[in-house]
Amino acid sequence: MGKILYANPDLCTGCNRCVYICSAIKEGKFFPTKSRIHINNFSFNGHSVPSICFQCPKPDCQEACPQEAIYKDENDIVLVDKEKCDGCGDCVTACPYGMIEQDDQGLAYKCDYCDGDPACVKECYPEAIIYQAEDKTLRKLRGLQMKQRTETTNAGEKRHQLGRNLLSLIPQ
Amino acid sequence: MNLYAGKILLVDLSEKEISVEPLRREWLKDYWGCWGLALRYFWDLVSPEVDPLSSENALVIMTGPFCGTLVPTSSRFCLVSKSPYTRTVLETNTGGAFGPELKFAGYDGIIIKGQSNSLSYLNISDDEVSIEDAESMAGKGIFETEKLLKEAAGSPEAKTLCIGPAGENLIGYACIGTETYRQMGRGGAGALFGSKKLKGIVCRGTGSLQVADMAAFLEKITQHKQTNLLTDNNLWANTDGTAVLVDVINDLGILPTRNFTCGAFEKKGGINSDAIKAAKRADRACTSCPLACGKFTRINGAEMEGPEYETLCLAGSNCEIDDLEQVIRFNRLCDDLGLDTISCGSTVALAMGLAEKGLHDFGLQFGHAKDYLDVVSEISHLSTDRGKQLALGAKKLAEKYKAEDFVTEVKGLEYAAYEPRGNYGMGLAYATSERGACHLRAFTAFAEDPYDIEALTQKVVDGQNFNAIKWSMCVCDFWGSINHEILSDLLGAGLGEPVTAQELALAGERIWNLSRLFNLKAGFTAADDSLPRKIMNQPLEKGTQSGKVFAKADFEKAKSLYYQLRDWDENGIPSTSKLNQLGLDSF
Repeated sequence: MGKILYANPDLCTGCNRCVYICSAIKEGKFFPTKSRIHINNFSFNGHSVPSICFQCPKPDCQEACPQEAIYKDENDIVLVDKEKCDGCGDCVTACPYGMIEQDDQGLAYKCDYCDGDPACVKECYPEAIIYQAEDKTLRKLRGLQMKQRTETTNAGEKRHQLGRNLLSLIPQ
Repeated sequence: MNLYAGKILLVDLSEKEISVEPLRREWLKDYWGCWGLALRYFWDLVSPEVDPLSSENALVIMTGPFCGTLVPTSSRFCLVSKSPYTRTVLETNTGGAFGPELKFAGYDGIIIKGQSNSLSYLNISDDEVSIEDAESMAGKGIFETEKLLKEAAGSPEAKTLCIGPAGENLIGYACIGTETYRQMGRGGAGALFGSKKLKGIVCRGTGSLQVADMAAFLEKITQHKQTNLLTDNNLWANTDGTAVLVDVINDLGILPTRNFTCGAFEKKGGINSDAIKAAKRADRACTSCPLACGKFTRINGAEMEGPEYETLCLAGSNCEIDDLEQVIRFNRLCDDLGLDTISCGSTVALAMGLAEKGLHDFGLQFGHAKDYLDVVSEISHLSTDRGKQLALGAKKLAEKYKAEDFVTEVKGLEYAAYEPRGNYGMGLAYATSERGACHLRAFTAFAEDPYDIEALTQKVVDGQNFNAIKWSMCVCDFWGSINHEILSDLLGAGLGEPVTAQELALAGERIWNLSRLFNLKAGFTAADDSLPRKIMNQPLEKGTQSGKVFAKADFEKAKSLYYQLRDWDENGIPSTSKLNQLGLDSF
């Protein structure tokens, strides 16, 4: 069984270090809007809710891509072949979680679990993001999160909407 | 540019003009950022005699070079201006997330001049900046205003600074709120916004920041984070938050209790870190910070991030309120209406003391929560006679009732949560802070000998100089073990040029002295570096330091030594040689 990434909104403090390390490694600059992980902040409610790529078993982005530019590697990580991507943006519209976006050239980009050693996990002091072997509990928790899907067109709006939904699931 | 955004946003509210100017690079090596750089800009913008609430006063909001990077605890940023409460130069800072957002929008800072003719807000979205009408937000609390500003900006992740009715009503100790429960708390920054009819600022930044060598920078960040930040020195902030100080400071006998009459509070168990932990629902962090000192609490439906130590004391033990739920309610009201909890709590405690002494009965009594909660709104809205009087603040309220013997303030800013009769260093720190009695500039509460004047005075000087440069990098106080070497190491990697600990140390002293010069030109003298009568004459009651005073002779000795160590004359004026050494001779 492979490892999966899971983000627990109960433990997330909103520090955003995951966002910063991701963009630093992937873009070479501190560039939060181009991070492959995002944090939805609800300071009024005292919570922050991470948005992560689930590397879906049946990825909507892969299905939507007319160029077959989206594929899974041997570890079931969902990746974009930039050579094949023609910047149509159908994957962005298709992703129910707002976790694939287009760069300045229009090419799709997304989280790739850093080749099996996610930087966000290493950076997260409260251990709100974990990367471990899938077990029953983890699969259930992740399943609950994945059930929260939306079709709002804008990736940022999708994440915020789902962040709000997950916020209401946090036990008071 | 490395680390810096490279631009300053200029807003003239009178002319409704917005422009962008390049960051003054020639000032960076001497002033670096945040406090130092803001002060340098401010120096050129106003006369030290300016009326703080007039359109001639300016506001300088400034981030530091690490803001927006992975340097832990680096998201803080400040506002420099002249305080309407104390009439000294004012530096007030906060954490949260606005600072990084401003840098990603492309600006290191914002300069605000003039005065709008109707209530407005500033909308920043990268290089699109506009002044917008805020009349529909008039009178609204900070919590609601934040939501409205984010909606207006069209992004739930936009960050805000705003004021509540207290700021709009120009209350002297009104604050600016951000990220709901954080503030630029002291000195009346909220009234400054109010005087400019500026309801708030909303910012969305989608840009980036670069550094000279990202791999080296990240490596040094990880190294210093692991070996210095995340150690026992600082992890109390993570495990307990500032509430840990309630028990610690009480046991040192310097927990202000009953309007600075006693040094210990028997009922501290109701408001200490155990009480906070029992009520805690989440840990909260400012952007970039692993410590997450914020404790989001909820009791019987009353919730907020906090209360922090200062509030647990000034609105807790100092009012003899031992019910955490009431302190949460008081704090939340202050956060929403926009009042500094330290000044508000102190003023309320003074009012409780005035009733006890038979000088005036405001309907406020030690230990009674009901009216204590009611007055927050009365002050903010100036809706009752009692509210209007308390809105004056402790110093003016004491003057009105000839109660100068019962008030503890310096330059008009009320004492914070450390009792100087049990720690002379704090008395000197309060006396010599440039913005009035502030506990942050020099912190001696844990000194080995709380009465060793020589050691404490040196500690005060060193603390002030270090904090001046630390806050110019805008690093948080809760990275308590940070030093010049770590700062220079991180700066060097970020900038791609060597930076020495010595030049940073000198810059700290320079920034401190520049603040002093501003105050001198504003009319402050050595007499204003003072100790309240109560502290000199009335023995402290209860606790491990009971019976103590900080006698005038001892204070004069400390003050005289302080001036000597700083190479200031007996009037507290920096010597010519000192100004030359710091490059301040032309100021």
